[in-house]
Amino acid sequence: MFTKENFLKLVQTTKGRIALAAIAASFVIPLVLRDNYMLQILTLIVIFTIYASSWNLLASSGQGSLGHAAFLGIGGFTSSLLAINLGVPPIIGIFIAGALSAAIGFLIGITCVRLKAWFLAMVTFGFSIIAETLFSEFDDVTHAILGFRPPPLLFSQRLPFYYFAVLISITSVAIIYFIMKSKMGLAFRAIHQNTAEARMIGINTAKYKLYAFVLSTFFAGLSGAIYAHFQRYIHISIFSADNSFKPLMMSVIGGLGTIEGPIIGSVVMVFIDHFLVNIDPFLNSALSPLFPAVSNVGPSIRLVGLGIFLVIVVVLLPKGISSLLRKVYHYIRTEPSKSEKP
Amino acid sequence: MIDATTLIWGVAIGCIYVLLATGLNLIFGVMKLVNFAHGELLMVGAYVSYSVTTALGLDVYLSVFVSMGVVALVGLAVERLAFRRVLGADKLNEIFVSLGLILIFDNVAVLIWGENSKWLTSSFEGMSVRLGEVFLSYDMLIAFAFVVAILVGLIFLIKKTKIGMAMRATSQKSQAAKLMGINIEHVYIFTFVLGAALAGAAGSLYGIIFPFNPYIGALPTIKAFAIIILGGLGSIPGAIIGGLLYGIAEQSAVAALSGIWGDAVAFSLLIIVLIVRPKGLFGERGD
Repeated sequence: MFTKENFLKLVQTTKGRIALAAIAASFVIPLVLRDNYMLQILTLIVIFTIYASSWNLLASSGQGSLGHAAFLGIGGFTSSLLAINLGVPPIIGIFIAGALSAAIGFLIGITCVRLKAWFLAMVTFGFSIIAETLFSEFDDVTHAILGFRPPPLLFSQRLPFYYFAVLISITSVAIIYFIMKSKMGLAFRAIHQNTAEARMIGINTAKYKLYAFVLSTFFAGLSGAIYAHFQRYIHISIFSADNSFKPLMMSVIGGLGTIEGPIIGSVVMVFIDHFLVNIDPFLNSALSPLFPAVSNVGPSIRLVGLGIFLVIVVVLLPKGISSLLRKVYHYIRTEPSKSEKP
Repeated sequence: MIDATTLIWGVAIGCIYVLLATGLNLIFGVMKLVNFAHGELLMVGAYVSYSVTTALGLDVYLSVFVSMGVVALVGLAVERLAFRRVLGADKLNEIFVSLGLILIFDNVAVLIWGENSKWLTSSFEGMSVRLGEVFLSYDMLIAFAFVVAILVGLIFLIKKTKIGMAMRATSQKSQAAKLMGINIEHVYIFTFVLGAALAGAAGSLYGIIFPFNPYIGALPTIKAFAIIILGGLGSIPGAIIGGLLYGIAEQSAVAALSGIWGDAVAFSLLIIVLIVRPKGLFGERGD
């Protein structure tokens, strides 16, 4: 897979160049910025890239989960609790977290593979609520209600942590890329487009959907574990519906079913989350007389905006920002060879 | 153990789920549309009632009709502006649009009415009639009567009127219905608006029995879907039985375990049902 010829081939294609440039940028940007707050945001982007990519992988097989926060939370709590109770080093713990999350994903997947899209959305949503209830009920073991402070992951300084997260993220995205390019990825897309036809041409749809579930929940658990060690705090709120909807919005806004979509989406969404806050004072001064019921109108107006943005993207740009970028690229360089979607 | 009080609360909350699930089921049956934002219409219904009762001094039970009307209009806008444009394409797109709508509705409600819980006070507040050893509050009885009346009207509409026949035809085969000269576009609009009106009524009744805030919509939606699965897709009697069963199961879980278990137990039940019968308890058709 990683031979020299492959690397040369990679450099020759536009896609490959963009990928390499993005990787290079992810290494260089923090060195240039030298800003602690920015570094924190970049790390969040990198972690959410893994999380959103895991969701996107599942969605590429036509299964839209509304409860991925369950796996994020299971991953986060597994690694954190292992580290606190048994002294398992987090660097091993995060992979155990991924594996456990995948095991639970397997069990949920068995239920889900036979279901239609909307049933599945509901079961996954329900599962995140069940997980939340169980974690708060068994608080003696999980310490979820008050939350606790897991140990750092190898490095407590921010910069090495960032590079570690980038490495994991690049590896995860690369693995997901190769999965999506493989026969399995093709089967996922066939199932997404028309399950009955996929079955007719001999694809074992249940088996492949289960593969998608296990792989996706592994990466979701992994990202949850890294997230917990990054925040140095884990709490029951990790199971919130907000966390379930985030990877969905990132993937949809970035470009559903593409490899770059979740990356673009997590950059956009994390930026929106952290920088759009700055317009709150303006919104407050301009609009709060209109809405006397709320003291701070900013957050709600931003969320309304996000909702409208999401609807507009789905209606007008079903393949997300990534397709827009592709159109721009094709417009600039009318090269006939680059129809990337197989 | 299910005692009489649990049973009554189960039926009361079940009634509201029935209204929501019936509307959702109609929309799903006729339009094949998965509207995850249906519960938001319930939330809007509760707030519309709150506004007209506090601002205009209208009786809460009259406000049910106002909120049905207003929510029907909201439904019209939602159908025209959002769902119409993604209908029939990828099912996932409908879920995404729903999520966008949830964000919009929740936060617009926060902006207009604030985040604090509100409740509707009826003129029968605190009054109840004794039946054996249990007390039935007037409010629950009236809510129950409302639901029964609305459902009877709905079944009449679907079985006996021309538009109802058109809805049934579209639900069975939209292309053939189109060939027979039915304007399915109009049928879609009518169905969605009807479903929205039912959700509006459900919202007002919910507000009379329970306190509400802008975020109450999400769970009832998911539960309504659960009920549809229990009761079978496209079946109104199924939705009624499923809704009542679900309400009772949920309240039993709350009574037997504790409050936080209500949702989890109900969802576990649902997942078990789906493992055993992926198409629902009474469901015949897959799609």
